[in-house]
Amino acid sequence: MRKNQGWLGWLFASPYLLYAIIFFLIPLVWSLFLSVTDWNLISPTYSFVGLENYAAALKSQGVQSAFFVTFKFMAVFVPLVIAFSIIVALIVQGLPRFKGLFLIGFFLPYLASGVVSSLIVKGILSYNSPLNEFLRGTFGLDIDWLGSPFAALFVVALIIAWKFTGYYALILTSGFESISKDVYEAAMIDGVTPWQRFWKITLPLLYPALFTVLILSIGVTFGIFTEVYQLTGGGPNFATNTWQMEIFTKAFSNLQAGYASAIAIIASIVTFVAIYIIRKLLELWGKRNGWT
Amino acid sequence: MKIKKVASLVLAASLTVSGLAACNNGDKSNGSTKDGVTTIEFWAAPNPTQQVYWKEVAEEFTKENPDIKVNVSPMKESPTSEAGIQSAIAGGSAPTMSENINRGFAAQLSESKALLPLDELEGWDEIKKNRNMEDTMKGWEFADGHQYVLPIYSNAMLFGWRLDVLKELGYNEPPKTYSEMLEVAKKLKEKHPDKYVWAKPDLADPTAWKRWFDFFMLYNAASDGNKFVEGTDFTGDKKAGEKVLGFVEELQKADALMTRQSKDPFESGLGIFTDIGPWTISYWAEKFPEMKLNETYALALPPVPDGMDTENVKTFADTKGLVVYASATKEQQKAASEFIKWVYSNPENDLKWLEKTNLPPARDDLTTNDTFKSFFENNPALQPYAAAVPNAIPPMDNSKYNDIQTFIGQHAFNPVVKGEKDPKAAWKDMQEAIEGALK
Repeated sequence: MRKNQGWLGWLFASPYLLYAIIFFLIPLVWSLFLSVTDWNLISPTYSFVGLENYAAALKSQGVQSAFFVTFKFMAVFVPLVIAFSIIVALIVQGLPRFKGLFLIGFFLPYLASGVVSSLIVKGILSYNSPLNEFLRGTFGLDIDWLGSPFAALFVVALIIAWKFTGYYALILTSGFESISKDVYEAAMIDGVTPWQRFWKITLPLLYPALFTVLILSIGVTFGIFTEVYQLTGGGPNFATNTWQMEIFTKAFSNLQAGYASAIAIIASIVTFVAIYIIRKLLELWGKRNGWT
Repeated sequence: MKIKKVASLVLAASLTVSGLAACNNGDKSNGSTKDGVTTIEFWAAPNPTQQVYWKEVAEEFTKENPDIKVNVSPMKESPTSEAGIQSAIAGGSAPTMSENINRGFAAQLSESKALLPLDELEGWDEIKKNRNMEDTMKGWEFADGHQYVLPIYSNAMLFGWRLDVLKELGYNEPPKTYSEMLEVAKKLKEKHPDKYVWAKPDLADPTAWKRWFDFFMLYNAASDGNKFVEGTDFTGDKKAGEKVLGFVEELQKADALMTRQSKDPFESGLGIFTDIGPWTISYWAEKFPEMKLNETYALALPPVPDGMDTENVKTFADTKGLVVYASATKEQQKAASEFIKWVYSNPENDLKWLEKTNLPPARDDLTTNDTFKSFFENNPALQPYAAAVPNAIPPMDNSKYNDIQTFIGQHAFNPVVKGEKDPKAAWKDMQEAIEGALK
């Protein structure tokens, strides 16, 4: 009986296992192999180059910029998306009816094509767009949105925040829903101010949902590509050059699949280590405040 | 026990994957010839007009040659057509042949033995002779002496000038030399401080291909078509290169360059000078009917340093062509050869191409062959392009063209445009970076 149940478990798990083997395990092993060769995937011959690709990658300006740019994106994107999602979740919470409908509305950008939204933003921010004409004419503000390093990074972070806000708001809304109204009523009787209510009740009880959203949003910053590819091409002067952009350029523009694989392996190690450290810090934060 | 189960699952999954892969290979090797009909896969450029053209000629060809079927499908862009082709070759699903291949990319593919040398195709000399493209093909020979690409079209890139604005400034025709152009810049800024000579965000973007439409247009003109790289040697003309960068620096100092992202800068008159390809003419006819040749705009060859001949100025040729992939079976190679021979033995097919795409066919007799005469009479804006074909220099045939052109942008052109580097230092840094990449 136990034996049969074991096989049943494997049977049910097999679709995901198969998926993980085909799309994660085999590509990972393949990438590790490629990263120690000079192969471009097309040539009939290749040589083993040991760790040369890794050494070259660590010294390259592109990889170094990708490393720092990711953390810059994190510093801008994560607070933005968390703030937006909390605001949206709070607004939806306060609605007397049609909560689901509004949530779907906010969720729609998540389904929108990154290419389309980037092209729209490109048009809105162009030098002679109505927005810029207005800013120049009314306030004398002449901002080079995609040509100056910080503005370009901020614009890309903002587009991605817009895209993910609805999705994260959905998770946070479920967190809000799980907080019992009795707790708020008791706090009101005790004369707690709205500010105290948010910091002392909402935030601690929202912590599990917030933790999920934080980890997810940090993960997003390691995979940014479409918006950067469409809007800035990694520029100006590497200011928005992400890991994915660097991997794509080396693999498909320069035909250096081996070298690009080495960058991909480095990127995955950095991602894993960074997320692990941040996760531990978040857990520590929760424990210190008695939220977990 | 657990390990055993996991191992058996991994094994089962691997067998499934291998099985699926085997199915794919089996299908490919048996599918090229069936019931005496050889099927060839043709990937057309990812734009509707070229797809329509190839579908039509493929249908006509199959009518006359029922033993060969040509399947035309659009090239996948994921996210670029080059990346799509690389993935297809790596995945073993490359087509028999495709168009839309530039010389630099062909050099990358040929170095990886992914392309068939066309000069080894049966009837290659006949194809060149029938299409009257023997002179054009000379410039297309690769460093190893083979021909890997049959150029379909050659766009001799020209610069467009806003003639209406020039007339306002007191000029009846575009300037031809650097000093004449700087004089225009000065007058423009005096009269219209909010306008620029060259308003184009790409000027500050290091993306490799963008150098074809700014640096190489100016460099080919200033160096009289000097080769930038030959094999593993950097052969750029330093004097000409520094003159080009010096000229760009002067424009920057005159506040005549604008690199901000802007919508239709030339059409809106924000900029009065820009590179124009023949494809823009049909785009304007549809979207900007107010753009009229010799009224709103004029076409001109690139400006040259003072003292240089202003006739027969060299420019960049935006030219792409057709390749046959090495993975094609012998039957498919033969069928591809038959198809190419059939298409290019009749100038009417090139006329049809010209009518559909406005891209000048890469042939020696474009301005003399009667077949094209009436087309150019009806499309005067395209005449300067046909006339400039002999002076158009195709892109470099180096497999590292992407790195090389990125370095031109990163170390020289972009910083000079932004006023961050002087021309001599820019050229020196660029040369060092390119030589490092060529080693």
